Amino acid sequence: MPEDHDWEAYKVPPTRTPVADRTTSVPNPVTFLQTFFTYVIDAPVTFVREWIERQQAKNKFYYYHQKFRRVPDVSECLEGDYLCFFEAEAQWRRDRMVDQEIVEIIRERLGACKQREGPNQFQNCAKEMELLAQVTKAYQDRYGDLGYHGNARKCLMKQKHRMMEERKAAQAKES
Amino acid sequence: MAAMSRVLRAAAAWAARRAGGAGIAGNTGITGIAPRLPGTLVPVRHSSGHGKRMFIIKSTSFHDNRFLNLLRFYIFLTGIPAALFITYVNIFIGEAELAEIPEGYVPEYWEYYKHPITRWIARYLLDPPEKDYEKQMAMLDTEARKTEMRLMELEARRLMRHRGDGPWYHYETPDKNLVDNSPKATPDN
Repeated sequence: MPEDHDWEAYKVPPTRTPVADRTTSVPNPVTFLQTFFTYVIDAPVTFVREWIERQQAKNKFYYYHQKFRRVPDVSECLEGDYLCFFEAEAQWRRDRMVDQEIVEIIRERLGACKQREGPNQFQNCAKEMELLAQVTKAYQDRYGDLGYHGNARKCLMKQKHRMMEERKAAQAKES
Repeated sequence: MAAMSRVLRAAAAWAARRAGGAGIAGNTGITGIAPRLPGTLVPVRHSSGHGKRMFIIKSTSFHDNRFLNLLRFYIFLTGIPAALFITYVNIFIGEAELAEIPEGYVPEYWEYYKHPITRWIARYLLDPPEKDYEKQMAMLDTEARKTEMRLMELEARRLMRHRGDGPWYHYETPDKNLVDNSPKATPDN
């Protein structure tokens, strides 16, 4: 589950709860339920959770996201240099996983936008929809239709074909 | 069938009369421990307040219950200690927090995992991924050199066979000075 660190993208508007204006003398049952919830469920759970966090705070340790060095790409490997192929293949797979996560994050932003806007989604979420369409098209152009046995070499060949098609289209447009 | 049941009922009544005949005068005849004929009447034993005792006839559940008992036993034998250990680790040690890699610090390979048990397994049981990577590359390199050597050998064989100027593909032939040409020396042989 990718965790989106850009909270600004989820533009949650401030809540507009109105100030209560009492017109009856009957006490609001909701306050009774709220106090009940606070004392019976919230306070014990918070107490236990804070106790657990105090125990865990005695020896803190951290984990990091691994940063991989960039290695020469498949297009820079000589034919027959299998070690270069292996490293480029590993790097290509990591890049593909990163791209998958990017597409997933953009999809989640669109979903959050739809949930937030409700009936206005078709007007107000147009930017997110456009962005998702572009990103998915780009992903499909680069990694789509390679199949289960897709590797860096096949992706390079797909790119080569794409460039050839573009060149043919450009030449056909010129003439 | 109705006639049969009537016959049986008559037989039961006759047997009861025969068995109870000795004690019809007294009221303790029937409750004696003397062997009784089948079909005789005995007083119903109501176990005080629980209702009439019934012998419920159903198929055996001995094997099913034994299986379930054994299943529960063997699952809980390691399941409960494992659950307790994992609960202890989750409460008192807790998961790691995500942090940026500090300047100039190279984290160990197990410091890229969150849960403490995963970190322990990665640290003490598994090899570092760099070692796996290098081992794979070494195997690839060895195999690549072997393929290269085999291809070169095939090429050398082909060329030597074709050109005949190499150390291979020499076949022993007799010396030409040993050949006796006398049978073919004259045209009339």
